[in-house]
Amino acid sequence: MALIELDHLCRRYGEQLALADVTLRAEPGIIGLLGPNGAGKSTLLKILLGLLRASAGTVRVLDMEVRESGLCLRRQIGYMPEADAIIPGMRGVEFIILAGQLHGLSRRQASRRAHEILSCLGLEEVRYRALEEYSTGMKQRIKLAQALVHDPPLLFLDEPTSGLDPAGRDHMLGLLWDLGHHHRKSLVISTHLLGDVERICDTVIILNHGRVIRHGRVADLRAERPDRYWLRIDGDTTDFVKELMLEGARILHDNGQGDLRVAVPANWRVIDFFALADNQDVAIRGLDRDDEHLEELFFRAIDEPHEAGV
Amino acid sequence: MASADIADLATLADGEAILRILRVSKWYGGVLGVNDVSLALGPGITALVGANGAGKSTLMRLAAGQLRADLGEVRVCGISPLRPRAKAIIGFMPDGDRFYEDMSGHTFVATLAGLHGYSSAEAERRTRQVLEQVGMAGRSERPLRNYSKGMRQRIKLAQAIVHEPSLLILDEPFAGIDPVGRQQFMRLFRGLAAQGCCLLVSSHELDEVEKLTNRIALMAHGKLVGAGTLTDVRDLLDQHPLTVQITVREPRRLAALLWRISDVRGVEVRDEGEVIVRALAPRRFLQGLGALILEERIDVERLRTLDDSAEALLRYVQRT
Amino acid sequence: MLQYAPLTVADGRRHSVIWPIAMAAVALSMRRRLSWILYGLSLLVFLMFFFGQYLLSWAQGQTAETTIRIGFIRTDPTRLIGVLRDALHMNGGAQTYRNFVTLQGSMVVIVLALAGSVLIGNDFRCGSLAFYLAKPLARWHYLAGKGLAVALMVNLMTTLPALVLFVQYGFLDSWEYFVRDGQRLGAVSIGSVRIPLQGPNPLLFGIVGYGALLTVCLSIMLLATSCWLRKTVPLIMVWTTVFFFFRLVAVALVDGLQYDARWRLLDLWNDMTLVGGTCLGLGSESFRSSRQPAAAEALVVLSMVCVACLIYLSRQIRAVEVVG
Repeated sequence: MALIELDHLCRRYGEQLALADVTLRAEPGIIGLLGPNGAGKSTLLKILLGLLRASAGTVRVLDMEVRESGLCLRRQIGYMPEADAIIPGMRGVEFIILAGQLHGLSRRQASRRAHEILSCLGLEEVRYRALEEYSTGMKQRIKLAQALVHDPPLLFLDEPTSGLDPAGRDHMLGLLWDLGHHHRKSLVISTHLLGDVERICDTVIILNHGRVIRHGRVADLRAERPDRYWLRIDGDTTDFVKELMLEGARILHDNGQGDLRVAVPANWRVIDFFALADNQDVAIRGLDRDDEHLEELFFRAIDEPHEAGV
Repeated sequence: MASADIADLATLADGEAILRILRVSKWYGGVLGVNDVSLALGPGITALVGANGAGKSTLMRLAAGQLRADLGEVRVCGISPLRPRAKAIIGFMPDGDRFYEDMSGHTFVATLAGLHGYSSAEAERRTRQVLEQVGMAGRSERPLRNYSKGMRQRIKLAQAIVHEPSLLILDEPFAGIDPVGRQQFMRLFRGLAAQGCCLLVSSHELDEVEKLTNRIALMAHGKLVGAGTLTDVRDLLDQHPLTVQITVREPRRLAALLWRISDVRGVEVRDEGEVIVRALAPRRFLQGLGALILEERIDVERLRTLDDSAEALLRYVQRT
Repeated sequence: MLQYAPLTVADGRRHSVIWPIAMAAVALSMRRRLSWILYGLSLLVFLMFFFGQYLLSWAQGQTAETTIRIGFIRTDPTRLIGVLRDALHMNGGAQTYRNFVTLQGSMVVIVLALAGSVLIGNDFRCGSLAFYLAKPLARWHYLAGKGLAVALMVNLMTTLPALVLFVQYGFLDSWEYFVRDGQRLGAVSIGSVRIPLQGPNPLLFGIVGYGALLTVCLSIMLLATSCWLRKTVPLIMVWTTVFFFFRLVAVALVDGLQYDARWRLLDLWNDMTLVGGTCLGLGSESFRSSRQPAAAEALVVLSMVCVACLIYLSRQIRAVEVVG
């Protein structure tokens, strides 16, 4: 069963075409939704949540047809918004109990579930504290908690790591990975942070100007470049670079601080780098195949010319 | 822990320092927010890296003249940032979001430009120029209330640079900005740095920040743990062994051979041909490793120093 | 992540969402200490009526005496009865209940003004409306839940105490008070005894009707005003303007400048009192100021105001972006 099936989906705002002829079939898993501002990501999310009606085309989520009343659908979906959605004055646990009740649980069930969820997200020590006293990390986690209270099979997350410091981001991404892989939930993560997508998403959907310009697994989409390498050199790189060029390699990028990207000739072997380094009395701190990163893939995709849809 | 010598002024200035922070401490009630920090910065971009609560925001606000230091002194181009004169050469892009929601973005920036003492014609000209630079040209007539997060960030940046400051302090400039916008910002920052501005950038998005600059100032628990290039700071933590991950075709052979290098403290073989080695004396070890690879003709697929990122450093200093 | 457990629901029934929304709103408004103080004050009014009725009933049994002592006050029983029954109308008649609810009016209005920002203003200001709308509920569920919360607060101060007074009077006066003037519903025979059935005292319906009118009008108006002005102080300012300032203007125009009685329709509280009075069976001649508009006109004005508020509300809620 496909997670999301869109067939010639269009959405107009007056003359503007926010989404133009989007057709895709997404399988369950962790999906990254990327795109520049104005690409139509939030419009797409609204339609998938059943909060907005499509101008044309069909939308199926979790094998349910989505018309204007997405009520049924929202029972199966958890949404973690980007903006703060706190009710001032309410305590953490009360907030989650309310969320549970809004999903149709009885007060007792919701209460039990609230405590359970707060514990497993690490918020049990602050559950009786008022929501406005929460730190950014706690706020993000409580937003995730209210999305998980009814154990939905599908979660939409809007910038789940925004405002978190690196430790908090690690933790959040770990939680999401866990939910996706151990509890077999599907996640659709809309974010600007390509690093997050690289870490935990199986597939990506890239939107631009209301169209899907890339859809697939990152590994499949990225261009393989077997003749290119990335190097990080410890020491003075000037002579090393000269030697490389003499040996027939092309320097694609040199940031002046030891990071190099080179394209090597046909019969090059990795060990040749070490030989050169040894000659020039520098040390190699890092070396790897320079396949296309997600960021390069992203920019390559959005730079492609497009026909302005009408 | 780090053996960084903080008694000496950590200087990241090639010439005359624009920002000088000398043994500054700041208390919040009983809590020490910033503990005996000394730092000197010149033109160019410096990244301020640290976990939440490490004292980054406090340090930035001290540098911007929004807070008074309890101990020590702060000097921007020789004058204290608390004085009104200093505000003309300091630009601050704060973390929080407090605008006059009914004003349009354009009016907001123009008003703040006027507050710097420019005539209304001059303020208007500068506003237009600066809105162009941050990518808000033509979009800034609507009231701020309707703006997306990214647009608000751009307006914040615009008001920080409208008076061409010598010191630009940016707290989380990339929050809510899409990848295209990030590139625009980075171009803008590099341009400003090239013109002689000193930028102090704090961001949690360490990969972005590493693209921007090589100079970092690392803070943990209110102290400045180290300042300099990434490699320098990393090498300062010489009590912490360097961790290198090598992906080879014959991991066990390499694992056995690695013990030949005297600095090695631990070797681990993982699946898929990964060998993790921990060693002291980074530079010497790496040269020894290179020599070993050459000698034994080891087929290396990939080599990574796992602590070479700001993120890894941060993780390490947070633990200790 | 420590053991995320899937949800196991023993009882698969889906419960209503309106009640939790209402309960959450009421609980939040009652967290403020000021609300409790105001409820306390409204309780004083209720107690005044409660003991007043009791006093009247007792004094009526003491008419044989020339003076009676209540605490440290000495007075003539007939005079006391006159005060209580004729001036203050604590006689279990329609006037009693209308006066009681009107007196409670100011308290109710202030409590609602304070509660408004917590009830609904914060949802707009702090983004929690998006939280509600992203759940499996329709916008009308949200409005109904909030409306129910206001209804509970209003009724707690008006209808419920009025009903208590009704029951108390029946106990003090006589059992037949409960069925006085009630409709004849025929009779039922038990054996050879024929017992006539009578409907309850229509005042009961009047009380409930007045309460319902207040509930509906005040909730809709409060929700609309709080949606417009999300913070407490502006809300109080507008609310007092609507209820107190317009009242003054109406009185000045009609009683002072002798304008047409219809100008009194500006005074919304008066309109509600008029219509409520009609529910209780009182005509406009029972008002202190004689020149009053017809109850039907008042009803029309109230309906128009409510409809306008509802339209405004649904527009505002529709405009909230759940996904940024």
